[in-house]
Amino acid sequence: MSADVSDLSLVRRVQRGDKGAFDALVLKYQHKLVKLVMRYVRNPAEAEDIAQEAFIKAYRALPQFRGDSAFYTWLYRIAINTAKNAVVSRDRSPIEYNIDRNDATEESYDMQGRMKDSETPEGLVLTDEIRTTVNAAIDALPEDLRTAIVLRELEGLSYEEIAAAMDCPVGTVRSRIFRAREAIDRRLRDVFEGGLGRTEELG
Amino acid sequence: MKEELDSQLSAMFDNELPAAECELLARRLSRDEELKARWGRYAAIGATIRAEGGVRLNAQVARRVAAVISMEPNVEAEPVRSRSQPLASRWIRPVGGLVMAASVAAAAIMWVRFQSLPQDGPVMAQAGRDGGSQAMIDAATSGPTSYVVPKAIPGRLTVPVMQLANYVVAHSEFSSPVNRRNILSALMTNEAGTAGALPGTEEPSEDVSNDAKSAQ
Repeated sequence: MSADVSDLSLVRRVQRGDKGAFDALVLKYQHKLVKLVMRYVRNPAEAEDIAQEAFIKAYRALPQFRGDSAFYTWLYRIAINTAKNAVVSRDRSPIEYNIDRNDATEESYDMQGRMKDSETPEGLVLTDEIRTTVNAAIDALPEDLRTAIVLRELEGLSYEEIAAAMDCPVGTVRSRIFRAREAIDRRLRDVFEGGLGRTEELG
Repeated sequence: MKEELDSQLSAMFDNELPAAECELLARRLSRDEELKARWGRYAAIGATIRAEGGVRLNAQVARRVAAVISMEPNVEAEPVRSRSQPLASRWIRPVGGLVMAASVAAAAIMWVRFQSLPQDGPVMAQAGRDGGSQAMIDAATSGPTSYVVPKAIPGRLTVPVMQLANYVVAHSEFSSPVNRRNILSALMTNEAGTAGALPGTEEPSEDVSNDAKSAQ
């Protein structure tokens, strides 16, 4: 199984003019990309801005993407370059420089981050709620389902590797991971639809 | 049916779905908002399991990107030349080599002819006065000597065959083996014919004889 087959099928659709397929790629990689960018900038809101810029750059550069490398590798490269440029640009700004380097203590830097942060209290609660719900759902999973989903998401193993580790067929691994996701998603859906009524914010 | 679709979606999210099924599901995913929302929640589940601290799971990135992209023109993949290029290069390279070999051979012929012709005005003038042939011989043989260049044939200013053969061999990397062999065979035939016609006037050097033997 090619490591990039589903990403590539979405990429090809975008290259044929289907913008909806790019949404799926953004949904899939937005958290990873924000996490990556946060190695360069500390502020989550700024990291999201940079990730957004990286996605837009990727969209515009997609006609040149030929699939020689994996899509996410290509996307990560764009994000890293965008983050580096943002840091350089910020450091060159006189006002930012004064705040960051001359007057700023760790506390004032954090305050600056908070001032930029557009996170609402509801949003913070929602993030915590999602984490709590997912963790509780994982704890409630049967052992074989939990092992399968953790090996996949945490260790990044392929289905074949998980099958070898758990001594079961690949089809069983696929089924276990799906059932684990379904069980977690059932609770997660309730959080958005029933709990805070913020389904839209997930996207 | 619904469960099978969700199972496929889960496998596709992990890049573990066969390509043919991916094509179909990608099409549906790009249009079905409910499926897309589930896809987004799968990503949030993964982010939570990886304990990606600091990342806001309700991030607006996807929504904001979608808003910007909706105002952008559709991207269009550049024409892929990967299939036609190898085919073209498969033909262009040998043909190009042949053209280059032919050019080199033509240049060699021209150069050798130029070298063989008397270039000195006084010699030509004297040749005209003295009745010609002896002066032509002197003029032809007064050029730079080479151990592979046969002596000029009186009354017949032809291309020194072995010199031309040496050029062909020296530039053999640009010509195909068949063409090279044909040219060399023609040259050797010409050489043999010339030697037969004028046995006393042309004595190929030892190297030339060896070359002829090895060519045979």
